[in-house]
Amino acid sequence: MWVLVMIEGLTFAAYFVVYTYFYRQSPDLFLASQAHLDLTLGVVNTIILLTSSWSIARCVERSRAGDYKAALRNVLLTMAGGFLFAGIKLYEWSVEIGRGFTFTTNTFFSFYYFLTGIHLLHIIVGSIALFVVIHQLSSPARRAQEIIETGATYWHMVDFLWVIIFALLYVMR
Amino acid sequence: MTAALARPVAAAAPATSRLGRIAWNWRHNPKLELWLAWYTILVFYNIFGIVFFVMTRSQPPPKAWWSLPRMVQWFADNEWGLLVGFGIIFAMGAFATASTALITYSIRRMSVSPAFAYTYLILYSLAAVPGMLLTCIALVVGAMRLDRDPALMGSLYDMGFIAFSGTMGIFLVGSVIWAVAILLDTNRIFPRWFGYFNICNALTEVVVATCVIEKSGPFAWDGIISFYVNMVVFGIYTGVFITLLRKMIEREDFTAGSPLSQHRRPHAI
Repeated sequence: MWVLVMIEGLTFAAYFVVYTYFYRQSPDLFLASQAHLDLTLGVVNTIILLTSSWSIARCVERSRAGDYKAALRNVLLTMAGGFLFAGIKLYEWSVEIGRGFTFTTNTFFSFYYFLTGIHLLHIIVGSIALFVVIHQLSSPARRAQEIIETGATYWHMVDFLWVIIFALLYVMR
Repeated sequence: MTAALARPVAAAAPATSRLGRIAWNWRHNPKLELWLAWYTILVFYNIFGIVFFVMTRSQPPPKAWWSLPRMVQWFADNEWGLLVGFGIIFAMGAFATASTALITYSIRRMSVSPAFAYTYLILYSLAAVPGMLLTCIALVVGAMRLDRDPALMGSLYDMGFIAFSGTMGIFLVGSVIWAVAILLDTNRIFPRWFGYFNICNALTEVVVATCVIEKSGPFAWDGIISFYVNMVVFGIYTGVFITLLRKMIEREDFTAGSPLSQHRRPHAI
Protein backbone atom coordinates (compact mmCIF):
# COMPACT_ATOMS: atom_id res chain seq x y z
CA MET A 1 0.00 0.00 0.00
CA TRP A 2 2.89 2.37 0.70
CA VAL A 3 3.98 1.95 -2.93
CA LEU A 4 0.55 3.15 -4.02
CA VAL A 5 0.67 6.05 -1.57
CA MET A 6 4.12 7.04 -2.83
CA ILE A 7 3.24 6.84 -6.53
CA GLU A 8 -0.11 8.56 -6.04
CA GLY A 9 1.62 11.24 -4.00
CA LEU A 10 4.17 11.83 -6.78
CA THR A 11 1.50 11.84 -9.49
CA PHE A 12 -0.68 14.32 -7.61
CA ALA A 13 2.40 16.41 -6.84
CA ALA A 14 2.93 16.65 -10.62
CA TYR A 15 -0.71 17.76 -11.06
CA PHE A 16 -0.29 20.41 -8.36
CA VAL A 17 2.91 21.74 -9.94
CA VAL A 18 1.16 21.97 -13.33
CA TYR A 19 -1.82 23.75 -11.70
CA THR A 20 0.49 26.25 -10.03
CA TYR A 21 2.31 26.85 -13.31
CA PHE A 22 -0.96 27.64 -15.12
CA TYR A 23 -2.11 29.75 -12.16
CA ARG A 24 1.02 31.88 -12.49
CA GLN A 25 0.46 32.21 -16.23
CA SER A 26 -2.95 33.89 -15.75
CA PRO A 27 -3.47 34.80 -12.08
CA ASP A 28 -6.32 37.25 -12.80
CA LEU A 29 -8.38 34.64 -14.61
CA PHE A 30 -7.78 32.07 -11.87
CA LEU A 31 -8.68 34.49 -9.06
CA ALA A 32 -11.81 35.70 -10.85
CA SER A 33 -12.90 32.10 -11.47
CA GLN A 34 -12.04 31.02 -7.94
CA ALA A 35 -14.43 33.67 -6.61
CA HIS A 36 -17.32 31.66 -8.12
CA LEU A 37 -16.58 28.59 -5.97
CA ASP A 38 -18.56 28.03 -2.80
CA LEU A 39 -15.94 28.22 -0.05
CA THR A 40 -18.45 27.14 2.62
CA LEU A 41 -19.13 23.84 0.84
CA GLY A 42 -15.36 23.34 0.48
CA VAL A 43 -14.84 23.91 4.22
CA VAL A 44 -17.74 21.60 5.14
CA ASN A 45 -16.32 18.86 2.92
CA THR A 46 -12.86 19.31 4.45
CA ILE A 47 -14.29 18.94 7.96
CA ILE A 48 -16.22 15.84 6.87
CA LEU A 49 -13.11 14.18 5.44
CA LEU A 50 -10.95 15.10 8.45
CA THR A 51 -13.62 13.61 10.72
CA SER A 52 -13.70 10.45 8.59
CA SER A 53 -9.92 10.22 8.90
CA TRP A 54 -10.24 10.48 12.67
CA SER A 55 -12.89 7.74 12.73
CA ILE A 56 -10.82 5.35 10.57
CA ALA A 57 -7.86 5.95 12.91
CA ARG A 58 -10.19 5.08 15.80
CA CYS A 59 -11.24 1.96 13.89
CA VAL A 60 -7.61 0.79 13.63
CA GLU A 61 -6.96 1.59 17.28
CA ARG A 62 -10.10 -0.29 18.45
CA SER A 63 -9.31 -3.21 16.16
CA ARG A 64 -5.80 -3.50 17.60
CA ALA A 65 -7.34 -3.58 21.06
CA GLY A 66 -9.69 -6.38 20.00
CA ASP A 67 -12.82 -4.23 20.35
CA TYR A 68 -14.22 -5.14 16.92
CA LYS A 69 -17.72 -3.79 17.57
CA ALA A 70 -16.36 -0.30 18.15
CA ALA A 71 -14.01 -0.72 15.18
CA LEU A 72 -16.96 -1.62 12.96
CA ARG A 73 -18.94 1.41 14.20
CA ASN A 74 -16.01 3.67 13.35
CA VAL A 75 -15.48 2.31 9.86
CA LEU A 76 -19.20 2.73 9.16
CA LEU A 77 -18.88 6.34 10.31
CA THR A 78 -15.94 6.76 7.92
CA MET A 79 -17.94 5.35 5.06
CA ALA A 80 -20.87 7.64 5.86
CA GLY A 81 -18.42 10.56 5.75
CA GLY A 82 -17.22 9.41 2.33
CA PHE A 83 -20.76 9.21 0.95
CA LEU A 84 -21.65 12.60 2.44
CA PHE A 85 -18.53 14.12 0.90
CA ALA A 86 -19.41 12.65 -2.51
CA GLY A 87 -23.01 13.89 -2.23
CA ILE A 88 -21.92 17.44 -1.40
CA LYS A 89 -19.35 17.39 -4.18
CA LEU A 90 -21.98 16.32 -6.73
CA TYR A 91 -24.32 19.05 -5.45
CA GLU A 92 -21.51 21.60 -5.77
CA TRP A 93 -20.83 20.50 -9.34
CA SER A 94 -24.52 20.77 -10.22
CA VAL A 95 -24.58 24.34 -8.83
CA GLU A 96 -21.49 25.33 -10.84
CA ILE A 97 -22.81 23.74 -14.03
CA GLY A 98 -26.16 25.49 -13.41
CA ARG A 99 -24.27 28.80 -13.33
CA GLY A 100 -22.70 27.95 -16.67
CA PHE A 101 -19.23 26.98 -15.38
CA THR A 102 -18.27 23.69 -17.05
CA PHE A 103 -15.05 21.83 -17.80
CA THR A 104 -14.50 23.85 -20.97
CA THR A 105 -15.30 27.32 -19.51
CA ASN A 106 -11.62 28.15 -18.87
CA THR A 107 -8.39 26.58 -17.60
CA PHE A 108 -9.28 27.16 -13.94
CA PHE A 109 -12.56 25.28 -14.24
CA SER A 110 -10.84 22.53 -16.24
CA PHE A 111 -8.51 22.07 -13.26
CA TYR A 112 -11.40 22.39 -10.80
CA TYR A 113 -13.41 19.56 -12.40
CA PHE A 114 -10.31 17.51 -13.10
CA LEU A 115 -8.79 17.65 -9.61
CA THR A 116 -12.08 17.25 -7.75
CA GLY A 117 -13.17 14.55 -10.24
CA ILE A 118 -10.02 12.46 -9.94
CA HIS A 119 -10.23 12.88 -6.16
CA LEU A 120 -13.86 11.72 -6.20
CA LEU A 121 -12.70 8.64 -8.10
CA HIS A 122 -10.24 8.00 -5.26
CA ILE A 123 -13.13 8.35 -2.79
CA ILE A 124 -15.01 5.65 -4.73
CA VAL A 125 -11.96 3.34 -4.69
CA GLY A 126 -11.55 4.17 -0.98
CA SER A 127 -15.17 3.20 -0.36
CA ILE A 128 -14.44 -0.20 -1.92
CA ALA A 129 -11.45 -0.50 0.45
CA LEU A 130 -13.74 0.39 3.36
CA PHE A 131 -16.21 -2.31 2.25
CA VAL A 132 -13.32 -4.79 2.48
CA VAL A 133 -12.52 -3.53 5.99
CA ILE A 134 -16.20 -3.90 7.01
CA HIS A 135 -16.18 -7.42 5.53
CA GLN A 136 -13.09 -8.24 7.59
CA LEU A 137 -14.50 -6.85 10.81
CA SER A 138 -17.94 -8.39 10.52
CA SER A 139 -16.83 -11.98 11.11
CA PRO A 140 -14.50 -13.45 13.76
CA ALA A 141 -13.22 -15.82 11.06
CA ARG A 142 -11.50 -12.95 9.25
CA ARG A 143 -10.36 -9.76 11.00
CA ALA A 144 -6.91 -9.50 9.40
CA GLN A 145 -5.30 -6.48 11.03
CA GLU A 146 -3.03 -5.91 8.01
CA ILE A 147 -6.00 -5.52 5.64
CA ILE A 148 -7.78 -3.19 8.06
CA GLU A 149 -4.71 -0.97 8.35
CA THR A 150 -4.18 -1.04 4.58
CA GLY A 151 -7.70 0.29 4.04
CA ALA A 152 -7.10 2.96 6.67
CA THR A 153 -3.83 4.02 5.03
CA TYR A 154 -5.58 4.49 1.70
CA TRP A 155 -8.33 6.57 3.33
CA HIS A 156 -5.77 8.81 5.04
CA MET A 157 -4.11 9.35 1.66
CA VAL A 158 -7.45 10.38 0.12
CA ASP A 159 -7.97 12.81 3.00
CA PHE A 160 -4.45 14.21 2.70
CA LEU A 161 -4.85 14.79 -1.05
CA TRP A 162 -8.14 16.62 -0.49
CA VAL A 163 -6.58 19.04 1.99
CA ILE A 164 -4.04 20.10 -0.68
CA ILE A 165 -6.69 20.27 -3.44
CA PHE A 166 -8.90 22.39 -1.18
CA ALA A 167 -6.03 24.74 -0.39
CA LEU A 168 -5.06 25.12 -4.06
CA LEU A 169 -8.52 25.51 -5.58
CA TYR A 170 -10.49 27.34 -2.89
CA VAL A 171 -7.97 29.21 -0.76
CA MET A 172 -4.72 30.00 -2.61
CA ARG A 173 -4.57 33.64 -3.68
CA MET B 1 19.16 -14.04 -24.52
CA THR B 2 21.77 -16.73 -24.00
CA ALA B 3 22.17 -15.87 -20.33
CA ALA B 4 18.55 -16.64 -19.73
CA LEU B 5 18.30 -19.59 -22.04
CA ALA B 6 21.47 -21.10 -20.70
CA ARG B 7 19.85 -22.04 -17.40
CA PRO B 8 19.92 -25.82 -17.23
CA VAL B 9 16.66 -26.98 -15.74
CA ALA B 10 16.48 -30.73 -15.93
CA ALA B 11 19.72 -31.89 -17.47
CA ALA B 12 23.27 -30.53 -17.45
CA ALA B 13 23.94 -28.32 -20.45
CA PRO B 14 26.95 -29.28 -22.48
CA ALA B 15 29.77 -26.90 -21.62
CA THR B 16 30.60 -26.09 -25.21
CA SER B 17 30.23 -22.96 -27.27
CA ARG B 18 27.53 -20.31 -26.83
CA LEU B 19 25.90 -21.58 -30.02
CA GLY B 20 25.91 -25.08 -28.58
CA ARG B 21 24.23 -23.90 -25.39
CA ILE B 22 21.55 -22.11 -27.39
CA ALA B 23 20.94 -25.26 -29.42
CA TRP B 24 20.80 -27.37 -26.27
CA ASN B 25 18.34 -25.00 -24.59
CA TRP B 26 16.23 -24.86 -27.72
CA ARG B 27 15.74 -28.61 -27.46
CA HIS B 28 15.69 -29.13 -23.69
CA ASN B 29 14.77 -25.99 -21.74
CA PRO B 30 11.21 -26.47 -20.44
CA LYS B 31 10.80 -22.71 -20.14
CA LEU B 32 11.61 -22.12 -23.79
CA GLU B 33 8.12 -20.93 -24.73
CA LEU B 34 7.98 -18.56 -21.77
CA TRP B 35 11.39 -17.08 -22.59
CA LEU B 36 10.45 -16.69 -26.25
CA ALA B 37 7.31 -14.81 -25.19
CA TRP B 38 9.32 -12.62 -22.80
CA TYR B 39 11.96 -11.70 -25.39
CA THR B 40 9.20 -11.03 -27.91
CA ILE B 41 7.77 -8.47 -25.47
CA LEU B 42 11.20 -6.85 -25.14
CA VAL B 43 11.71 -6.68 -28.91
CA PHE B 44 8.16 -5.47 -29.54
CA TYR B 45 8.25 -2.61 -27.04
CA ASN B 46 11.61 -1.44 -28.38
CA ILE B 47 10.37 -1.44 -31.98
CA PHE B 48 7.09 0.16 -30.86
CA GLY B 49 9.03 2.96 -29.19
CA ILE B 50 11.29 3.53 -32.21
CA VAL B 51 8.36 3.55 -34.66
CA PHE B 52 6.05 5.83 -32.64
CA PHE B 53 8.63 8.20 -31.17
CA VAL B 54 11.35 8.34 -33.84
CA MET B 55 10.13 7.17 -37.26
CA THR B 56 6.55 8.46 -37.39
CA ARG B 57 6.90 11.30 -34.85
CA SER B 58 3.37 10.46 -33.74
CA GLN B 59 4.52 10.40 -30.09
CA PRO B 60 4.68 12.72 -28.27
CA PRO B 61 1.51 13.59 -30.19
CA PRO B 62 1.36 16.76 -32.30
CA LYS B 63 -0.99 19.56 -31.30
CA ALA B 64 -4.71 18.89 -31.11
CA TRP B 65 -5.57 22.53 -31.89
CA TRP B 66 -3.76 22.77 -35.24
CA SER B 67 -5.64 24.15 -38.26
CA LEU B 68 -6.44 21.89 -41.21
CA PRO B 69 -3.53 23.15 -43.39
CA ARG B 70 -1.12 22.52 -40.48
CA MET B 71 -2.46 18.97 -40.08
CA VAL B 72 -1.94 18.33 -43.80
CA GLN B 73 1.56 19.76 -43.43
CA TRP B 74 2.23 17.34 -40.57
CA PHE B 75 1.27 14.39 -42.79
CA ALA B 76 3.54 15.75 -45.54
CA ASP B 77 6.46 16.28 -43.13
CA ASN B 78 6.23 12.72 -41.85
CA GLU B 79 5.02 10.95 -44.99
CA TRP B 80 7.73 8.30 -45.32
CA GLY B 81 8.13 7.83 -41.60
CA LEU B 82 4.41 7.12 -41.29
CA LEU B 83 4.31 4.76 -44.27
CA VAL B 84 7.42 2.76 -43.39
CA GLY B 85 7.05 2.92 -39.60
CA PHE B 86 3.46 1.81 -39.47
CA GLY B 87 4.20 -0.70 -42.23
CA ILE B 88 6.56 -2.29 -39.71
CA ILE B 89 3.81 -2.25 -37.07
CA PHE B 90 1.38 -3.90 -39.53
CA ALA B 91 3.99 -6.59 -40.16
CA MET B 92 4.81 -7.31 -36.53
CA GLY B 93 1.83 -5.91 -34.62
CA ALA B 94 0.81 -9.42 -33.67
CA PHE B 95 3.89 -9.58 -31.43
CA ALA B 96 1.91 -7.40 -29.02
CA THR B 97 -0.03 -10.53 -28.12
CA ALA B 98 3.06 -12.00 -26.41
CA SER B 99 2.64 -9.54 -23.56
CA THR B 100 -1.06 -10.34 -23.18
CA ALA B 101 -0.32 -14.06 -23.36
CA LEU B 102 2.39 -13.99 -20.69
CA ILE B 103 0.31 -11.85 -18.33
CA THR B 104 -2.68 -14.16 -18.88
CA TYR B 105 -0.37 -17.08 -18.08
CA SER B 106 0.75 -15.32 -14.89
CA ILE B 107 -2.89 -14.88 -13.78
CA ARG B 108 -3.56 -18.57 -14.49
CA ARG B 109 -0.73 -19.38 -12.07
CA MET B 110 -2.51 -17.44 -9.34
CA SER B 111 -4.94 -18.88 -6.80
CA VAL B 112 -7.85 -16.97 -8.35
CA SER B 113 -10.66 -17.89 -10.69
CA PRO B 114 -9.60 -18.44 -14.33
CA ALA B 115 -12.26 -15.85 -15.17
CA PHE B 116 -9.70 -13.16 -14.30
CA ALA B 117 -7.27 -14.52 -16.90
CA TYR B 118 -9.89 -14.92 -19.61
CA THR B 119 -11.35 -11.47 -19.00
CA TYR B 120 -7.88 -9.95 -19.17
CA LEU B 121 -7.10 -11.87 -22.35
CA ILE B 122 -10.29 -10.73 -24.10
CA LEU B 123 -9.95 -7.13 -22.93
CA TYR B 124 -6.37 -6.71 -24.11
CA SER B 125 -7.02 -8.55 -27.36
CA LEU B 126 -9.77 -6.01 -28.07
CA ALA B 127 -7.82 -3.03 -26.77
CA ALA B 128 -5.01 -3.37 -29.29
CA VAL B 129 -7.42 -2.80 -32.18
CA PRO B 130 -8.47 0.79 -31.41
CA GLY B 131 -5.48 1.59 -29.20
CA MET B 132 -2.81 0.74 -31.74
CA LEU B 133 -4.01 -0.58 -35.10
CA LEU B 134 -6.73 2.01 -35.75
CA THR B 135 -4.21 4.79 -35.09
CA CYS B 136 -1.76 3.24 -37.54
CA ILE B 137 -4.45 2.74 -40.20
CA ALA B 138 -5.83 6.30 -39.94
CA LEU B 139 -2.41 7.94 -40.10
CA VAL B 140 -1.15 5.71 -42.91
CA VAL B 141 -4.29 6.43 -44.95
CA GLY B 142 -3.62 10.13 -44.46
CA ALA B 143 0.02 9.86 -45.50
CA MET B 144 -0.81 7.72 -48.54
CA ARG B 145 -2.56 10.47 -50.54
CA LEU B 146 -1.50 13.91 -49.40
CA ASP B 147 -3.69 15.63 -52.03
CA ARG B 148 -6.92 14.60 -50.30
CA ASP B 149 -9.48 17.18 -49.17
CA PRO B 150 -7.97 18.86 -46.03
CA ALA B 151 -11.24 18.24 -44.15
CA LEU B 152 -10.78 14.50 -44.70
CA MET B 153 -7.14 14.74 -43.65
CA GLY B 154 -8.27 16.50 -40.48
CA SER B 155 -10.70 13.67 -39.73
CA LEU B 156 -7.96 11.07 -40.17
CA TYR B 157 -5.64 13.10 -37.93
CA ASP B 158 -8.27 13.38 -35.18
CA MET B 159 -9.29 9.74 -35.54
CA GLY B 160 -5.70 8.57 -35.31
CA PHE B 161 -4.86 10.40 -32.13
CA ILE B 162 -8.25 10.01 -30.43
CA ALA B 163 -8.05 6.26 -31.09
CA PHE B 164 -4.59 6.15 -29.49
CA SER B 165 -5.29 8.28 -26.41
CA GLY B 166 -9.05 8.17 -25.95
CA THR B 167 -9.44 4.41 -25.73
CA MET B 168 -7.40 3.95 -22.56
CA GLY B 169 -10.51 2.84 -20.71
CA ILE B 170 -10.11 -0.74 -21.90
CA PHE B 171 -6.50 -0.85 -20.70
CA LEU B 172 -7.64 0.70 -17.43
CA VAL B 173 -10.15 -2.07 -16.74
CA GLY B 174 -7.53 -4.68 -17.68
CA SER B 175 -5.12 -3.12 -15.21
CA VAL B 176 -7.75 -3.25 -12.45
CA ILE B 177 -8.45 -6.93 -13.19
CA TRP B 178 -4.75 -7.76 -12.97
CA ALA B 179 -4.52 -5.73 -9.73
CA VAL B 180 -7.42 -7.54 -8.07
CA ALA B 181 -6.02 -10.93 -9.13
CA ILE B 182 -2.60 -10.07 -7.63
CA LEU B 183 -4.12 -8.83 -4.37
CA LEU B 184 -6.31 -11.94 -4.00
CA ASP B 185 -3.58 -14.38 -5.02
CA THR B 186 -2.13 -16.54 -2.26
CA ASN B 187 0.54 -18.12 -4.51
CA ARG B 188 2.41 -14.78 -4.54
CA ILE B 189 3.14 -14.92 -8.27
CA PHE B 190 3.65 -11.15 -8.07
CA PRO B 191 4.44 -9.04 -5.01
CA ARG B 192 1.46 -7.34 -3.44
CA TRP B 193 2.90 -3.85 -4.02
CA PHE B 194 2.68 -4.45 -7.76
CA GLY B 195 -1.06 -4.99 -7.36
CA TYR B 196 -1.30 -1.52 -5.85
CA PHE B 197 0.91 -0.15 -8.62
CA ASN B 198 -1.64 -1.52 -11.11
CA ILE B 199 -4.39 0.44 -9.36
CA CYS B 200 -2.23 3.53 -9.52
CA ASN B 201 -1.63 3.02 -13.23
CA ALA B 202 -5.36 2.59 -13.82
CA LEU B 203 -6.20 5.77 -11.89
CA THR B 204 -3.65 7.71 -13.97
CA GLU B 205 -5.08 6.42 -17.24
CA VAL B 206 -8.50 7.86 -16.39
CA VAL B 207 -7.00 11.29 -16.95
CA VAL B 208 -6.61 10.70 -20.68
CA ALA B 209 -10.40 10.72 -21.07
CA THR B 210 -10.33 14.53 -21.01
CA CYS B 211 -8.67 14.55 -24.44
CA VAL B 212 -12.06 14.11 -26.12
CA ILE B 213 -13.27 17.39 -24.59
CA GLU B 214 -10.27 19.74 -24.74
CA LYS B 215 -8.36 20.69 -27.89
CA SER B 216 -5.63 22.69 -26.17
CA GLY B 217 -4.01 23.13 -22.78
CA PRO B 218 -3.00 20.55 -20.17
CA PHE B 219 -5.99 18.26 -20.84
CA ALA B 220 -5.73 17.93 -24.62
CA TRP B 221 -4.28 14.72 -26.09
CA ASP B 222 -0.86 16.40 -26.19
CA GLY B 223 -1.36 18.09 -22.80
CA ILE B 224 1.09 17.92 -19.93
CA ILE B 225 -1.45 16.15 -17.70
CA SER B 226 -3.25 13.97 -20.26
CA PHE B 227 -0.10 12.83 -21.97
CA TYR B 228 3.19 13.57 -20.22
CA VAL B 229 2.36 12.76 -16.58
CA ASN B 230 0.43 9.71 -17.70
CA MET B 231 3.27 8.59 -19.96
CA VAL B 232 5.84 8.78 -17.16
CA VAL B 233 3.71 6.56 -14.88
CA PHE B 234 2.92 4.17 -17.74
CA GLY B 235 6.60 4.00 -18.78
CA ILE B 236 7.71 3.07 -15.25
CA TYR B 237 4.81 0.63 -14.95
CA THR B 238 5.76 -1.10 -18.22
CA GLY B 239 9.40 -1.43 -17.16
CA VAL B 240 8.35 -2.88 -13.80
CA PHE B 241 5.93 -5.44 -15.20
CA ILE B 242 8.41 -6.67 -17.82
CA THR B 243 11.01 -7.14 -15.07
CA LEU B 244 8.52 -8.95 -12.82
CA LEU B 245 7.46 -11.24 -15.67
CA ARG B 246 11.13 -12.17 -16.09
CA LYS B 247 11.42 -12.95 -12.38
CA MET B 248 8.25 -15.04 -12.62
CA ILE B 249 9.73 -17.13 -15.42
CA GLU B 250 12.99 -17.58 -13.49
CA ARG B 251 11.02 -18.84 -10.46
CA GLU B 252 8.63 -21.00 -12.49
CA ASP B 253 8.91 -24.61 -11.35
CA PHE B 254 5.99 -26.17 -13.25
CA THR B 255 4.41 -27.51 -10.11
CA ALA B 256 0.82 -28.70 -10.05
CA GLY B 257 -1.54 -25.98 -11.17
CA SER B 258 0.82 -24.58 -13.72
CA PRO B 259 -0.77 -24.41 -17.15
CA LEU B 260 2.42 -25.94 -18.51
CA SER B 261 2.66 -28.71 -15.94
CA GLN B 262 0.94 -31.10 -18.34
CA HIS B 263 3.00 -30.00 -21.31
CA ARG B 264 6.61 -30.46 -20.32
CA ARG B 265 9.00 -30.83 -23.16
CA PRO B 266 9.86 -34.53 -23.27
CA HIS B 267 13.63 -33.95 -23.39
CA ALA B 268 13.51 -32.05 -20.14
CA ILE B 269 12.12 -34.90 -18.03
